[in-house]
Amino acid sequence: MTTETFKLGYNDIHDDVVRSIVKTGPKYYIALATAGSITLLCFFFPWFYQLYYGIGAAGMNHPGVWGTYLASFIFWIGLSHSGTLLSCVLHLTNSSWRKAMYRSAEAMTLFSLVVAATYVMVHVGRPWFVHWAAPYPNQMELWPNFRSPLMFDVMAIATYITGSTIFIYMGSIPDFAAVRDRTSGWRNTMYTLLSLGWRGTDKEWHRLHWAYTFLAVLIIPLAVSVHSIVSWDFAMSIVPSLHQTIFAPYFVVGAIYSGTAGIVTVMFVLRKTMGFEQYITKVHFDNLGKLLLVLSLIWTYINGVELFTAWYSGTSEEYEALGYKLFGYYAWLYWEMILFCAVAPLLMFSTRFRTSFVPMLILSIAINIGMFTERFLIIATSLSRQYLPDAWGVYVPSLVEISIMVGSFALFTTLFLVFVKIFPSVSMYEVKETMATPKMEPLAPASGSPA
Amino acid sequence: MPNIDRREFLKLVGAGGVSVGGGFMLREANKDQPEYLIPHVLAPEDFSSGLDTFYNSVCSMCPAGCGISVRTREGRAKKIEGNPAHPVSQGGLCTLGQAGLQALYNPDRLTAPMRRAGAGDAGSFEEITWEQGLKQVGDRLDLLRAARRGNRVALLTQGVRGHLAQLLESFMRQLGSSRLLHYDFDHPHTLYAANQQFFGESRLPYYDLANTRLLLSFGADYLNNWISPVHHSLGFGESRQSRPDVRARFVQIEPRMSISGAAADEWIPAKPGTEGILALGMAHHIVAEGNYSGADRGAWTTALADYTPDAVAEQTGVPATTITRLADSFADTAPSLAIGGGAAGNHSNGVDTLVAVNALNYLAANIGQEGGLVFNPEPAGPASQQHQASYSAMVELAEAARQGEIDVLIINGTNPVFTLPPTAEFAEALAQIPLVVSLSSFLDETTALADVILPSHTYLESWGDDFPEPGMGFSVGAVSQPVVSPLYNTRGTGDIILDLARRMGASSVIPWQSMEEFLKYGWRRIYQRGDAQTLAQDFDAFWTSVLKAGAWGETTSGTTAFSLNPDVIASIGVAPPEFSGSEEDYPFILHPYLSANFHDGRGANLPWMQELPDPMTSVVYGSWVEVNPVTAEQMELSEGDLVDIQSPHGQLRVPVFIYPAIMPNVIAIPIGQGHGEYGRYAKDRGVNPIEILSPQLEPITGNLASSATRVSLTATGGRVKLVKTSGVSRDLGRDIVQHTGAGVEVSSAVDNSIPITEVTT
Amino acid sequence: MSFFSRFMDGWRKYRKPGYYEEFDYHWTMAIDLDKCTGCEACMTACQAENNIPVVGEEEVARGREMQWIRVERYWEGEYPNAKLNFIPMMCQHCDAAPCETVCPVAATYHNQDGLNAQIYNRCIGTRACAVYCPYEVRYFNYYDHGWDSPLEQQLNPDVTVRGKGVMEKCTFCIQRIRQAKDMAKDDDRRRVQDGEVQPACVQTCPTKALVFGNRKDRESEVYQSMTDPRNYRVLDELNTDSSVFYLKKVDA
Repeated sequence: MTTETFKLGYNDIHDDVVRSIVKTGPKYYIALATAGSITLLCFFFPWFYQLYYGIGAAGMNHPGVWGTYLASFIFWIGLSHSGTLLSCVLHLTNSSWRKAMYRSAEAMTLFSLVVAATYVMVHVGRPWFVHWAAPYPNQMELWPNFRSPLMFDVMAIATYITGSTIFIYMGSIPDFAAVRDRTSGWRNTMYTLLSLGWRGTDKEWHRLHWAYTFLAVLIIPLAVSVHSIVSWDFAMSIVPSLHQTIFAPYFVVGAIYSGTAGIVTVMFVLRKTMGFEQYITKVHFDNLGKLLLVLSLIWTYINGVELFTAWYSGTSEEYEALGYKLFGYYAWLYWEMILFCAVAPLLMFSTRFRTSFVPMLILSIAINIGMFTERFLIIATSLSRQYLPDAWGVYVPSLVEISIMVGSFALFTTLFLVFVKIFPSVSMYEVKETMATPKMEPLAPASGSPA
Repeated sequence: MPNIDRREFLKLVGAGGVSVGGGFMLREANKDQPEYLIPHVLAPEDFSSGLDTFYNSVCSMCPAGCGISVRTREGRAKKIEGNPAHPVSQGGLCTLGQAGLQALYNPDRLTAPMRRAGAGDAGSFEEITWEQGLKQVGDRLDLLRAARRGNRVALLTQGVRGHLAQLLESFMRQLGSSRLLHYDFDHPHTLYAANQQFFGESRLPYYDLANTRLLLSFGADYLNNWISPVHHSLGFGESRQSRPDVRARFVQIEPRMSISGAAADEWIPAKPGTEGILALGMAHHIVAEGNYSGADRGAWTTALADYTPDAVAEQTGVPATTITRLADSFADTAPSLAIGGGAAGNHSNGVDTLVAVNALNYLAANIGQEGGLVFNPEPAGPASQQHQASYSAMVELAEAARQGEIDVLIINGTNPVFTLPPTAEFAEALAQIPLVVSLSSFLDETTALADVILPSHTYLESWGDDFPEPGMGFSVGAVSQPVVSPLYNTRGTGDIILDLARRMGASSVIPWQSMEEFLKYGWRRIYQRGDAQTLAQDFDAFWTSVLKAGAWGETTSGTTAFSLNPDVIASIGVAPPEFSGSEEDYPFILHPYLSANFHDGRGANLPWMQELPDPMTSVVYGSWVEVNPVTAEQMELSEGDLVDIQSPHGQLRVPVFIYPAIMPNVIAIPIGQGHGEYGRYAKDRGVNPIEILSPQLEPITGNLASSATRVSLTATGGRVKLVKTSGVSRDLGRDIVQHTGAGVEVSSAVDNSIPITEVTT
Repeated sequence: MSFFSRFMDGWRKYRKPGYYEEFDYHWTMAIDLDKCTGCEACMTACQAENNIPVVGEEEVARGREMQWIRVERYWEGEYPNAKLNFIPMMCQHCDAAPCETVCPVAATYHNQDGLNAQIYNRCIGTRACAVYCPYEVRYFNYYDHGWDSPLEQQLNPDVTVRGKGVMEKCTFCIQRIRQAKDMAKDDDRRRVQDGEVQPACVQTCPTKALVFGNRKDRESEVYQSMTDPRNYRVLDELNTDSSVFYLKKVDA
């Protein structure tokens, strides 16, 4: 597969990537400061306010007990599927176009999971006791309730975050070594520690390859199961429009969909800001676009299935919930979601669209907005229309919730900004694999020493 | 760090040690005061930590007089229950009764006597001592009594019965004043007058719902606020489903579906004020069909000649077939019972309407029958009826005040500034009275205009008694005792009156030192009427047994035989109702109704009642106007739209509620909100429909025809969100409330799905 | 029995309905809809007994009212044939409760009396139980609600006052059940008799539409109501196996 990277040499990659880590201009600091302060102002301060006064600071009510917090939680877990797909699946299918992007994608996974985990703390009524959901021996002699889908969640996400962390770290070891060899001072110390004494021997490469593949194979079912499990938080209830078997595939497809769109966004930003234009090219966007298109078609189909089964059931509960979704209080959100996630992605049938950077960026953001709306709608519309009409109600998010939503993106950005300065955000050794092996030139013989 | 020599080091250590020690001592000294697990070393007699003490008493949240049993814990009232031994409540209690605890522990209670500070009516009060307050009032009374001008003293109280009523009577008699008035907005003046006219009885009969088989209610919301709602609910429950193979049928006739209308098997909308005509139409049919076989049949036929079903259908809007069907079933079902009241009694033809209802009972032979209407014996204690002031009487009082004929007005627990329409000009009249004394526990609108406030205990802190009216077909009484020590510097109403009596020099006739003493004196007479078994114990044992049981009864009964005066028959007839305003200018008829939560406004200062959803609409914390759906559609009104309701005598702005069961040209507003005073929970919330009522009168009693005001409805274009707790009040085919009965398909798939597993071990 | 057969026995009992044969009591409530007038006395009684806070107008407007028992109203038909049906709705104490499955920390569980119990100090406030409850009878404490002094003097010392972040719901007045069982135990270890324990709502109902008792006692009033041909359960098709039986309203 020809890539533009053919024109580059190994050293160019090293130089580019190390430069991206070592050289920090004022723009970076401004970006970091902005992201950090928005995180503080929009995420942490409102959260502390909520911790002090109670969940009442959010807009949840009866029966809308779940709201944007859970929608965001699921959205962030969904975003986390980006890394998994790109890294693991495409690794196993030996696609070369993933190589420049997968490190950042894996980082996206990790940080999405971190933000999602923080969201659990935000959402829960008494977060200072949330550790009770973890199975540890305690003097109360109590174990958590393993029958609960939320417990499956805890287990799955813990496994996923552990797996992803090991995965990204392990895959970065050779790169850490490469950076170690090109930096000095405190960075050298840090990278020495991080690279765990990597010497680049054959055996080490062999072991790395096998470990990496092994984990890749492991993480794929994990990713599928994580989001299925998250979907079962809803599907195992008996709320009319939540209790559907389609939910597991729906959520997994939706997660991969929004994750991939997230990658497109992040790739665009990385290209521009880190100077990776030569590594992340039109080809990548083209392929991501194709993937997005396929996912959007599947997603549209699943939505259609949902609508159809609700209508076909003929029961008042499903019917009312469906009607409410389409024509009720949140109807404008529903049609916005359809526009952004089902209609707009059809533009990607055109190759020209797929290979244009800015349109893809805009579309990917639109898709993620649509996907967030989808998560929100699943919760809000279903809880508003349950079995007993007397108990129907409307939930409106409060300012605190919206602020925390904005803040979560800032938190993610802050973490990512820190990431790009520590991890090599493009996988150097994998990119080198796509390049032609440089010609080995014989060394100039030293005077008097044998070759 | 500089070199320190030994001496300096030791100095530093010493200083450090002393300051640490000092800090430690400071902290210890400022620690929280030690808390005691058990607050008393020698606890009062009824304090047992961790154990409940129950006291029986009588509820005063409405005039019904249910017996209650209050659970107290370490001297604090925790829960009010119905007293199972009391015949009126029999263990049940209504929602307002349960909220009595919040009247006791209300943050806005008056805590000490007060006097108006400074001139003018702007209510700023200064605290005074009881001695000061009682002296000020007592001296004035003494002066007036001595000068034989006792008639310049008026006493206006909420309807009271029992020995407090007797005490007030005695008090006013000693003053030489005839101006003793009981004033309750909801007192059924027309019902009493109708009973007087028809039966010659000054007491209400007992309406035996528990044993009836068909109840016809003409406007009386007997389950919610008509006379004795808890007892009627009890009877309702029993006659509905407690007798094997017998289920009573309930029919409600009113222009707006009330709670009783919702519970009824059939709700019949009749034009406002024509309920009596409908009753006579039924009566006509009963006589015409030969279902009445009394000797005076001829007189009845003559009297009812004009009330043919067709003519009546024309006037009432109820189809003639319905009238005849109802009449037939009423006559055929034995026993049946017809009751009337509520809005039907509050029209210009109110008394005649209720006489017509009595006539129905007579013609169906329900008088003196179980399941019908049972006469009551003389109550063992004084009733309130003879002093109950109609609207006209209150207007007269106000006029007398304006003429300067009143020097002192003592007000006890009634709030006429709120419950009288402004056309009575009562507030202005109060300004003309030099000394207005209020004995209320709360700063309501009337008390805010008082000169001296001598706050009473709430009913949970005071001694009293009650003889419920109507009785149960036999005499019933109960003693109301304090369940907690008084919270504040207040006194019992009876004690205040006794003190004032003393101060005005009437202690030779009114010698008792406390209400408790007076009660015992009064109950001694009841004791002496007792049978041999009662007299076998001494009075103290009797008194204790009455308190322990929370109820007392006597198996006397009223008359059963009844013969109707023939002149009454001739006088029977119901004129069409008269309304204020013209139909063109004021196309709607206003139907104000007592709300379940607040009754006549007295419950508005209880947070539980404010947050309790209205049973029919589920609205909380506000007022609304109920509009028929078709009318609303025609006027393009939806829920929450603010409308202006204008009567010939006032205007209100209130949001709309679309109400499926109200006549198209009738609108209804609940009574109870719209307070200008009365505490933080009640103040400035909602509207008071009484404010716009026209001074239409029922001529015989002189009472306010509160259902006879015409109004107009105009959209203002504004909107508010009506705060409701219900989402959508339609079950959309989900069969949440399932029905069964003749001709109705049982729609649930699983009929009897209980997994009964036999326990074999 | 061998260990394996004991295990399989226990497993079978757990999986099949009927495992609650082992309950000491099986508290059940029967509500006669033909008698219920919608007066809402039960609502205030419950509020007084269980220290349920008054949330205030603003919070009710936001939909956060707290009513462990609520009276639902459903209109039927149009004027002039409109009818209004009331149905009191409280925790149904389902024997196959969806809420019990989902609580991650097991703060809600089925106790030995057949009650669905809520442990306030274990609850971490995920609110999943409220989502899973089809009757929507679970209420969350969104704030620390207070009582304007001296209204807190009325609080029932037998019932916890819940802080913010925990879920609460009808308990069939478990404090009264506990007290009745204690008194029965003191009294020569007899069992609680029918009618001895009544939740606040049952005790106050003026029409006696609510009946409460132990369905294992075949003589009890609640058992008679349960086996009445008019009985049904709300949302029975969801197989929650609720312990509240309703008696159908009669059209006559």
